[in-house]
Amino acid sequence: MDFPQGMAFEEEALPRTGMIVSGALHLGVIALVLLSPFFRSRDSARTVATTEVSLISPEEFAALTVPEASRPEVPRAEIALPVPAPEAEAAPAISPERPEEPQSRPAAAPLTPPEPVAEEAPKVETPPAPPVAEVEDTPPEPPAPEALALAEPPSDTPTPREAPRVAPEPAAPAPPEALPDEVLREEVSQSPEAVEKKPETEPTAPPEASTEIVTEAEKPASSAPVSSPRPRARPARPAPPVAVAKAPPAEAAAPEKDGKDAMAAAIAAAVEDAASTPAPVASSPAAAAGPPLSRSEKEGFRLAVSRCWNVGALSAEALRVTVTIGFSLTRDGRPEPASLRMISASGGSDGAARQAYEAARRAILRCGARGYNLPIEKYEHWRDIEITFNPEKMRIK
Amino acid sequence: MSIKRILPLLVLVLAGLGALFSGPLTAQERPGPLRIIIDEGVIEPLPFAVPDFIAENAAAREYAARITRIVAADLQSTGLFREIPKEAFISSVTSFDAPVQFGDWKAINAQALITGAVSVSGRRLTVKFRLYDVFSGAPLGKGLQFAGTTASWRRMGHKVADAVYSRITGEGPYFDSRVAFIAESGPKNARVKRLAIMDYDGANVQYLTDGRALVLAPRFSPAGDRLLYTSYESGFPRVYLLDLGSLRRRALDEQPGTMSFAPRFSPDGRTVLLSLSVGGNTDIYSLDLATGNRRRLTSAPSIEIAPSFSPDGRQIVFTSDRSGSSQLYIMPAGGGEPRRISRGKGRYNTPVWSPRGDLIAFTKQNKGRFHIGVMQIDGTEERLLTSSFLDEGPTWAPNGRVIMFTRETAGAGGTSALYTVDTSGRNLRRVPMKGAASDPAWSPLLK
Repeated sequence: MDFPQGMAFEEEALPRTGMIVSGALHLGVIALVLLSPFFRSRDSARTVATTEVSLISPEEFAALTVPEASRPEVPRAEIALPVPAPEAEAAPAISPERPEEPQSRPAAAPLTPPEPVAEEAPKVETPPAPPVAEVEDTPPEPPAPEALALAEPPSDTPTPREAPRVAPEPAAPAPPEALPDEVLREEVSQSPEAVEKKPETEPTAPPEASTEIVTEAEKPASSAPVSSPRPRARPARPAPPVAVAKAPPAEAAAPEKDGKDAMAAAIAAAVEDAASTPAPVASSPAAAAGPPLSRSEKEGFRLAVSRCWNVGALSAEALRVTVTIGFSLTRDGRPEPASLRMISASGGSDGAARQAYEAARRAILRCGARGYNLPIEKYEHWRDIEITFNPEKMRIK
Repeated sequence: MSIKRILPLLVLVLAGLGALFSGPLTAQERPGPLRIIIDEGVIEPLPFAVPDFIAENAAAREYAARITRIVAADLQSTGLFREIPKEAFISSVTSFDAPVQFGDWKAINAQALITGAVSVSGRRLTVKFRLYDVFSGAPLGKGLQFAGTTASWRRMGHKVADAVYSRITGEGPYFDSRVAFIAESGPKNARVKRLAIMDYDGANVQYLTDGRALVLAPRFSPAGDRLLYTSYESGFPRVYLLDLGSLRRRALDEQPGTMSFAPRFSPDGRTVLLSLSVGGNTDIYSLDLATGNRRRLTSAPSIEIAPSFSPDGRQIVFTSDRSGSSQLYIMPAGGGEPRRISRGKGRYNTPVWSPRGDLIAFTKQNKGRFHIGVMQIDGTEERLLTSSFLDEGPTWAPNGRVIMFTRETAGAGGTSALYTVDTSGRNLRRVPMKGAASDPAWSPLLK
C-alpha cells in the first residue's frame, strides 16, 4: 500500500509500571506452584508397581474357571524348590568389639551370607525325573507283518510327534491353512446364502501342543526299516468254496409271538436267505459261470496248446486241412482223452484229415498232460473247448 | 397303502429275485465251449521209441536187432522223427503182446512207440509190428506183418519203417525203393563211370556196367524193372534200355548220324521220350517201345532236351534255349505250342515232374552257383532248396516229398556225391556211400 507522501509516524514513549507489576505477579505465582505441596501428586512420590497382564480369550477364561473336580487331571511335575536356609544360630553376631587379631576385614563378615552348618542345613532335593507323560491315545500298533513287509519299529515306546510347546491340554492339530494364534476361530467366509455378512477372517488355531517335550537325545530312532525280511511266499490259491449244508432255520428266525415281529423276522430271513445262497461249487455242473476268461488267459491257453502242435511230420496234404477238435477238461486242466473228437475238417481227403486230427490231438494231450493253467474259478468257461487248428501259416509255400 | 406296508413286500420280491438269479445254472444256461483258433505251431522232429524187436526164436535173434536199426535209421533220416536212445527207456518190452506201460513212455516224451517181433523159419523171415500213439494210449492203425526171405531182411525193415512213416505223416512210403546212379572212380580227368543200383539208403550197391564206356543219366521204368541210360559205347551218345531182371540191354533208335540222350519213360512205360540230335538240331521225340515208331514233338531250331512226362502222361516239361537261354517249357504230350514256365533269372535245366504232379524240380544256374529248386507247374512259387558249387540232376522219391541230386565239389580233387533234401528245403543229407556217385534216378516203390 502506498502511503501518502509527507506523512510520518512518531514513536511515543508509553508508561512501564504495569509491566513491572505484571511480571512480578507472574513470578510469584510460579514460585508458589513450584514450592507448594498442594500441587504435588501423591503417587508421584511412590514407585510405580507394574503388573504383567496377559490377554486371555473367553474360552481360556472359561477353561480356567472350571471347577477343579471337573478339570481333567494333568500330571504335574513336582519340583521341590530349594528353601532358603534359615539363619544359622551360630552365626556370629555383629560384634561391636573388634577381634584382637583381625585376620580379615571384620566389617565384611555380617554382609557375607552365613555359611550353612552341614548338619542343619536343609538338603537340596534333586528334582525327580518328570513322570512319563501318559498319552491317552492308544499308541499305534506296529505294522502287522502281513500288511507291511517292513522291519519292526525300533522301539515299543510310543513316539508322539514333537511339538514346540507343552500345553496343559493337548491341542488338536491345526488345519494346514490355519494361522497360529492364541484363539481358535472358525473360518468365516462369505457365503452367498449368508443372511448376515460377516467380515472375512482367516482361520486361526492355537499352535499344536504336546504333552511332553522330546529332547534331541530322546528323539526316536528312524522309522526306516532296519532289516530286509525275506518276502513271504505267495499265498496259496484259495480253496474252492465248499458247499455247506444249509443249517435248519435258527431259532431266532422262528416266528415271534408278535405278528409284527413275525413279519419282520420273515423279511429278514428272506433277505438273509438270498444273501447267503450257497457259493457255487466249481465241481458242480451247475456252478455259477462267473466272469469269462480274460484275453490273456485265453492267449495263454492258446500258446500252451500251440507249442505242442507239431506240424513238421504232417504231409503236404494234411497241412492243407483245417480241423476243429472238441474236448473236455477236468478240473485240474487235464484233457479227458475219451472226450476228444473231430468236429469238422476241411481242405483235404479223409486220410489227410485223420493225420491233421491226430497231430492236433497229440498237441492237446501232450501239453495238457500236467494240466493246463486255467483259473479254476472260471471252470465252467473252459470245461468244454473247441479248438480250430488252421495250418495255413505253417504250410510250405 | 402306506409305504410301511409296501416296503416288506418289496423286500420279499427282491429277495426272491436274488435267490433265483444266484441259484444253480442249468445245463442250458451253462456257457458254451471255449473256442480257440490256433494257426501257428512248431516244426520239430517227433520223438519216437523203438525197442529192439522181440526175437521169437533163436534164429531170429540176429535179424531182430538189425531190422530194428533199419527202422530207426529210416525214420530218423527223414528229419521228421527223432529216436529216443535206449538208455532213456524206463521200461522194456519183453513180449510183443504184453500191455504197453504208456506212463513210462510218456515220461521220456516218446510220442510214438514201435514194438515188433521177428521169427525165422528156415529161410523164411517174418516181421510183425505195432505202432502206438503214446499220449492217447492207443495203437495207431492195425499191426502189420511182413514175410520174406532172410536175404531180404533189409527190405523188411524198410517196409516196417514205411508203414510207420505213412501212418504218422500221411505221406506215401519211399524207404523200400532203390536208386540207379553212376558210380564214379578215378581222377577227375580220367573218371570211370559205371551204371549202378543200390537201396535208397546207399546199401546193396550193384554195378550194371563195367565202366569201359562212359554212361550217363539212368532212368527207371515206372515198374522199376528196366533202366534207360545213355552210353558212349559207340563213340556217340546213345540211349539204351536195360532189363534189370536179365541185365539184357539194347540200343534205342539206332540211326546213323544221330545222337540220342536224356531219355525218360512215359507213365505207362510204353513210350520213351528222348532228345535226338539230327543234323545239328536237337529236338524231342517220342519212341514207341513196342513198335519202334518215332515221333517228333518239337521242331524249333533251338535245342530242346530233358523231357519229363507229367504223372498223368498228358504233358511234357522240357528245357529249351529258344528264348536265348535255357528255360523250362511245358507242352502237350503229343506236341504243340510250348509254354514257358520259368521266369526267374539264370538258366534252368533238367526238369522233373513230381510223382504227385504238383511240383517240378529243376537245376538252376545263376550267378555262378547251382541250385536245386522246385516250382509249381505253372512256374509260380519257385523255391530254391540248395545252393552250391555244382548241384544238378534232381530225382523224386516215390512219395514226391524228397529229392535226390548230385553235388560236386570244386577243384581238381572235387568229387561227386548224392544228397537228399526235403521239398521244404530242410533235412539236407548226404547219402552214405563209399565211392563217388552222380546222376541218381529214384525207382518207384518196390513191389
